[in-house]
Amino acid sequence: MKKVININFQGRVIPIEESAFELLKAYTDSLRRCFAQEEGKDEIINDIESRIAELFGEALKKGSVCITDEQVNAIIDNMGRPEDLEQGTSATGAETNSGQKIAGDDSSAERGKLYRDENDKIIGGVCSGIANYFKIDPSIIRVAFVLTTLGWGSGVLLYVVLWAILPGSKLQAGTRNKRLFRNPDEKVVAGVASGIASYFDIAVWIPRLIFALPLITGLGASLINAVFNVWFWSDEPISRIVFSSFGGTLLIIYLVLWAIIPEAKSASEKLEMRGEKIDLNSIKTTIQEDLHAFATRAEKWGKEVNEKAQDFGKDVSQTVTSSAQHASSVVTPVAKSGISRIGTAIGLVFKAFFMFIFGIIALALLIALVAILFAGAAVFPLKNFLLDGFNQQFLGWVFLLLFFGTPIIALVTSLIRRMMGVKSGNKYMGYAFAGMWVMGLFSGMLLISDIKKDFSVRVREKQENTLAQPSTGKVFVRLKDANIVRQFGPGIHMTGLARLYKDSIQISNIDLRIEKSADSLYHLTTTRISSGKDDQTAASNLAAMQFGFQQQDSVLMLDRGIILPPGSRFRNQQIILTVQVPVGKKIIVDRAVMKKFFYLNLSNISFAEVDGGDDWELEESKENWRSGVEYLMTESGLKKTGVPLDEKNWEDNGDNEENFSPDAPKSRRQLERELERKNRELEKMKKELDKSAEPKKVAKQQSAKEGGSHVMWWLQSALNRVMHSTEDKAVAAGYIFHPKLI
Amino acid sequence: MDIQNTQSQMRKGVLEFCILSIIRQGEVYPSDLVEKMKSANLHILEGTLYPLLTRLKNAGVLTYRWVESNSGPPRKYFVMTDQGLQFYHELELTWKELADAVATLTHPTVTDTNPNTPSSDQPE
Repeated sequence: MKKVININFQGRVIPIEESAFELLKAYTDSLRRCFAQEEGKDEIINDIESRIAELFGEALKKGSVCITDEQVNAIIDNMGRPEDLEQGTSATGAETNSGQKIAGDDSSAERGKLYRDENDKIIGGVCSGIANYFKIDPSIIRVAFVLTTLGWGSGVLLYVVLWAILPGSKLQAGTRNKRLFRNPDEKVVAGVASGIASYFDIAVWIPRLIFALPLITGLGASLINAVFNVWFWSDEPISRIVFSSFGGTLLIIYLVLWAIIPEAKSASEKLEMRGEKIDLNSIKTTIQEDLHAFATRAEKWGKEVNEKAQDFGKDVSQTVTSSAQHASSVVTPVAKSGISRIGTAIGLVFKAFFMFIFGIIALALLIALVAILFAGAAVFPLKNFLLDGFNQQFLGWVFLLLFFGTPIIALVTSLIRRMMGVKSGNKYMGYAFAGMWVMGLFSGMLLISDIKKDFSVRVREKQENTLAQPSTGKVFVRLKDANIVRQFGPGIHMTGLARLYKDSIQISNIDLRIEKSADSLYHLTTTRISSGKDDQTAASNLAAMQFGFQQQDSVLMLDRGIILPPGSRFRNQQIILTVQVPVGKKIIVDRAVMKKFFYLNLSNISFAEVDGGDDWELEESKENWRSGVEYLMTESGLKKTGVPLDEKNWEDNGDNEENFSPDAPKSRRQLERELERKNRELEKMKKELDKSAEPKKVAKQQSAKEGGSHVMWWLQSALNRVMHSTEDKAVAAGYIFHPKLI
Repeated sequence: MDIQNTQSQMRKGVLEFCILSIIRQGEVYPSDLVEKMKSANLHILEGTLYPLLTRLKNAGVLTYRWVESNSGPPRKYFVMTDQGLQFYHELELTWKELADAVATLTHPTVTDTNPNTPSSDQPE
């Protein structure tokens, strides 16, 4: 049973057995080499090919279904093999074309001289000339040149100098009996790894795995990095140091090799790649014997050889006479023993190296897995606060498993299969993976739309609170239990916007607004806002919110967040606290409040003091707000009166969970904050400039914002919070794990 | 001394002359040329012929024209040029001289009266 392919050969469509085609191709390639020095090389080859095509045509006309190996061999015998032609043409060639003949002789007679090889060149033939001089593979010299160029750029200069100095000569190919090619038959990316494997006579997976390391380590490292960064605040994880430099180098090497090593396109090149092809002039054995030797070796290779090569080899061996078989069986072990000794030595080194690397990867993956499990355990309960009912829970699971699980499994599977050299047997696996992923995607979309429904109605309830008027004439807003320092316990600690208790959740979706009071009294208004599927659920969500404050004379102590009791869901509950300050009275807001709450809304007041002109820009004034500083309410707005009250004290009393380094020099932190604020001011001013340039657009945006979804608004305020925070990193980390986004 | 090598060297020497003599008789298709030579008991590999023809063509001795074929693409038929004819006549002359010389040497009785004496030792 043989595969028949159709080829367009010299203007004829020829059905030909695949193995016969390989023979034909090898023959025409060998002719091309044979006539490489000839002036009318292309014409000669063309003539011969068209004659062969004609003979094929005749054979087909006589009733052959397709061209077989035997027919090709018969035609080749008729036309003459390169060895025969070489003898046939050289004598006459000396008469008619003596100049070229001498050039041809040069290469064999004066091999000791260094030339540029004009037959085998990428740029100027310098590398292959050098390789020819040392009788090694040009690819090695090329790699060396590129590496020196990448390193110090000296390679280019050296190359140009050599290009200029060395005389060009059409050197004969085939002085090396083994060449480094990219193997197109067994490739994952570009066949570099399998070509190297062929060259060094080692298993394909060894170089492949080494080159795959950047990918694997990259994945592992980024996972670990993510984990380390979020939970352990490690700025420079060990994994990154270990892997990234190493992986990057390998990737560059692979790309360089890809560019430099030629692909083994023809059959003869493939043989040369495996070291089977020997110098054309010295070759005494026929192509069949060569192929047979390859077949016997291929069988010895066992695992890594592909079926195609075996079939090919067997087919060929059938046509070979017993004497040829005998000859090859004698020749092959001799040839092999020399190569295999070096091969096994290199193989051993590769294997040891691989074991070491594999150990590291396995360890890294294990750590990553454990970390993910921990993270999952920490985040897991949060989903109960977002997802409502069996339907959503189910969808959530399907989405999680299929959407994220499938690509990971598919990636791992394909990596393993390719590394082990398994040819993709069933394409249905790919379809299955794709289908599962799409299912995951759909369930995710369903889930989102379902959840969105739960946020469709938004209700608010405004509540006036009684506030005892402080005798000191100022209100100090701070958080409850601000002095309690929470130490880092063992295990996973989450910071940021949400905190999970045993069965309830606390969210910090709180706005603090400061306004000018209409009368001479302080007022505190609490506005509760919540979303829900309908009015009823929204109202019940509203009622379930727990938020309180206590007043001790001038100190207003706020709860640290909105408590959502067990059983309730996160529906973007929000509280707007409005403190109305009468004219002539003062207010101080603790820094911890600023850190804890999203947003200090000062949109209804203006500042009366800060350096600036008459036209107060609200956005700008907000940026001038400093927590921990005493402000006086005047007719025209807030006015900063006090110096920061013992900055250090406020710092320490602040939300200590977020103070990673309370002992850090304060002056530096202050300076940093100063810088940050100035930068923000600059940005704001730029924005203002843009706004004034496009007033219409802004108005549109604002209206869209007002009318837009609350979810968007919520996200925006969350972002604002991030912007305001001096501990950007910690907040960002918390932001990632906010229930809204899980 | 490799007898085969010597034999093939001898054949090659006259190959071009033989080819040209066939082409002189009219335009010819390379494979027909091989057949004609084969019928004259002068065996040649077709693969050897094509490079030779191309060289002769490039040297201006031969030229070719495309002839439509009833099966497949047109075929290349080789014709001799005027320059080639001159070239051929020179070769012919050389061949005749060579043949005479060879004949003389291989059958010494025809011209040489004293075969036992080496020719170089002869006076005059």
